[in-house]
Amino acid sequence: MGNNNLKPFFDPRSVAVVGASDKPGKISNIIVRSLKAAFPGPIYPVNPKYTSVEGLKCYPSVQDIDGKVDLAIYALPAGATPDAIRSSSGKVGGAILVSGGFAEAGESGRALEKELKETARHEGIRIIGPNCMGIYDNVSRLDTFFISTERIRRPAPGGVSIISQSGSFAITAMDELASEGVGVARVISYGNRMDVNESDCLEFLADDPATTAVALYIESVEDGRRFVEAAKRCSSKKPVMAVKVGKYGAGARAALSHTGAMAGRLEVYRAAFKKAGVVELAGYEDFLAGCKVFGKDLRPEGNRVMIITDGGGMGVEIADACLAMGLEVPPLTEDVKEAIAPLFPQYFAIGNPIDLTGSATDDMFAQALEKAMSSDGFDIAIVAALWGPPALTDDLPELLSEKAVFTGKPVIICSPGGEYTRQRLGLFRKFGFPVFTTPEGAVRGAAALARNRKRADG
Amino acid sequence: MDNREIERLVKEAVSLGKKTLVEPEAKEVLRLASIPVPRFQVVKDVTAAVEAAGRIGYPLVLKLVSPDITHKSDVGGVAVGIKDAKELELTWSQMILNVADENPVAMIEGFLIEEMAPKGVEVIVGAIKDEQFGPVAMFGVGGVAVELMKDVSFRLAPLDKKEAFEMMAEVKGFPLLTGFRGGSFKDLDAIADVIIKLAGVISSTDGLKEIEINPLIVYDEGAIAVDARAVIG
Repeated sequence: MGNNNLKPFFDPRSVAVVGASDKPGKISNIIVRSLKAAFPGPIYPVNPKYTSVEGLKCYPSVQDIDGKVDLAIYALPAGATPDAIRSSSGKVGGAILVSGGFAEAGESGRALEKELKETARHEGIRIIGPNCMGIYDNVSRLDTFFISTERIRRPAPGGVSIISQSGSFAITAMDELASEGVGVARVISYGNRMDVNESDCLEFLADDPATTAVALYIESVEDGRRFVEAAKRCSSKKPVMAVKVGKYGAGARAALSHTGAMAGRLEVYRAAFKKAGVVELAGYEDFLAGCKVFGKDLRPEGNRVMIITDGGGMGVEIADACLAMGLEVPPLTEDVKEAIAPLFPQYFAIGNPIDLTGSATDDMFAQALEKAMSSDGFDIAIVAALWGPPALTDDLPELLSEKAVFTGKPVIICSPGGEYTRQRLGLFRKFGFPVFTTPEGAVRGAAALARNRKRADG
Repeated sequence: MDNREIERLVKEAVSLGKKTLVEPEAKEVLRLASIPVPRFQVVKDVTAAVEAAGRIGYPLVLKLVSPDITHKSDVGGVAVGIKDAKELELTWSQMILNVADENPVAMIEGFLIEEMAPKGVEVIVGAIKDEQFGPVAMFGVGGVAVELMKDVSFRLAPLDKKEAFEMMAEVKGFPLLTGFRGGSFKDLDAIADVIIKLAGVISSTDGLKEIEINPLIVYDEGAIAVDARAVIG
C-alpha cells in the first residue's frame, strides 16, 4: 500500500460533504462550516433536500458535481452508507465515514461494515473510519472534526502528527495542546479502521515533510508485524511515540508455561515498541508531554539532566522526579563549577541543581544555562523559573532562548505558580520552549526525550 | 540447528493429539537446536533406572515424566543429588508415593535419569507465538518463583545478539550474572546464544506455541538447559 493511496486524505484539492445539512448543530453542518472557515479548495455539500448549504451550492448527488472529488466525507445513517459509496463510483478518491453504527454496534453493525468494506473495495475507494472524527490537518487545512471550535480549540500549525484510534482522545488532546500553544501538523482519528489503519498512516507520515514527530494512541493494532515494520521505518526518520491502552486485559493464550503466563498484552506491545523504535508513553499526561517536547527538532545525546532554578526546593523536587523516572542528575563538573562561580557570591554552594536563589537575575539564568550546557556532561536542561525574585523581568524567556540556541540542547521550562506566573507562560512558548507548570510534567517531558535518545543509540 | 527433525518431532506429537511436550521431548528439541542439555535417559522401571544411572554416573537427578504434570517439583516429582543405586531405589519408591498422593490420576510415561548439573545462576529463557505479533522471546531470573517476581523482559523474534544483551540488562536481577556480591561474571554470550536459538526454534517450527527453559543454569563458561517444557498444537 503506497503512500499515494492516502494522498486524497492529506492533500485533497476538493472536498464533498455527503449528507450535508443546513441545520446548525448537525454534525454535517459543523463539518461544512469548519471547511468553509479554512479549506482553500472547492467544497461541495451533497444532499437532495437542499439547493444550498451554508451559502454553498448543494448537489443532489455526488455524480452531479462537475469533475472529480478528491475526498468525500459521509455523514449519513449507517444503513445508508454502503449505497452512498456505491453511488460515488468513479467520482471519489477517498472517503471519511464519520458515522457510527457499524462493527462497534453489534451483529447487524458488523454485517453492515462487511458490506461497506466489500463495496469500497469494489469501487476502489479508500476509507477512513467508520465511527471516527476523521482528519484535522494544518497542512491541507482540512477539518472534519465535527465538534465546534468553541468547545474544542484547534492547535496551530506545528510538527507533531497524531494518529488516534479514539476520536475523543484525539480531540481532548488537541484542545489541551491548543490551549498550551503547542502546534500539530496532522491529526487522524481512524475509528473502526475498516480500511486505513495505523500502519497506513505511519507509512504516510514517515515520508511527510510537514511531520517532525508522530504520536500514536492505540487500543490495538490490526497487523502486528506490519505495524512493527511501518513504525520502524517511520522512527528511523523521526521520533515515534505511543500510548497503548487496554494494558491489563487477560491474554487469550492458555498459559501452560511461565512465559505464556507472563507475556500479557502490555509486555508483548512493549516488545513490539522496542523492536520498532517507538517511545512508549505511559498515558494521557505522558502523551501531552511527549507532544510538547517532540515538536522541536532537538534530540538529546543522553539522559543527564541539568537543573537550573531560583527555588531550591523546586530544584530538589525536580531532581527527585528525574531519578524516579530513570534520568540522571550528575553533579557539576569542576570546569562548569569554575565557569559559573563568578555568577554567585562566594559563600554559595554550587551544585546540580544550580540554585540561583532569590537574588536571581535574568542574566544569571542565561549565563548559568550557557555555561552548564556548554559542558559535555549534560544532555537536557530543565529551567525552573519561579517569578518571585524581584530582579526577574519579562526579558528572561528571550535571553534564555538565545542561550538555548547557542548550546543546541533541549531546554525544558518548568514554571509552576499562580496568576502572575501563568500570564508569563506564553512568553516562554513564544520563544519555542516546551513549557510545563509542574515539576513532574517537566520531567515527564525530559524522560520522553531521553527515551528517544536510547532508541537512537541502540 | 536441525529444523527438519524438530518440525518432524513436533508434528508427530501434535498428530498424536498431544498438547504439550514432556521434558525429554522438549529437551530433544533443544538438543536438535544445539542448545546444551544434560545427558539423560528415560526409563520405565527401577532396574532400567539403575542401569542407566551406571552409564550416566552419580550424582544424578530423578524426574517424573508425565504429560499431566506441568510443574513437576510441585508434586514431589523432582529429586536431585542422588548418590548411589540404593538411594536411587529409595527415592524412586518415594516419588511414586508422592505423585499418587498429589495427583493420583496423572499418567506417568516414565522417569528421567539425568546427569546432575553443577550449581550456577538460574535463569529462564522462553519463547511464545503471539497471535498478533508472532514469535516473542523472554528472558528472566529463573526458578520456581519466576511468576511471583516477574523479573523478565521480552523482545520480538527474530533478534540479534545486541537485543539479547539488552534483554538481559533490562531485568533487575542482571547483577546476579555480573559479579553481584563477590559472585563471578557469568557467560552472557552463552545466554544470548540460547535466547537467539530458542527464538529461532519458535519462529521456524509450525505447531510449536510455547517453549521454555527453566532453569537454564549459567556458569563462568557455558550454560545448560536443566528443565524444559513446550506447548504444541
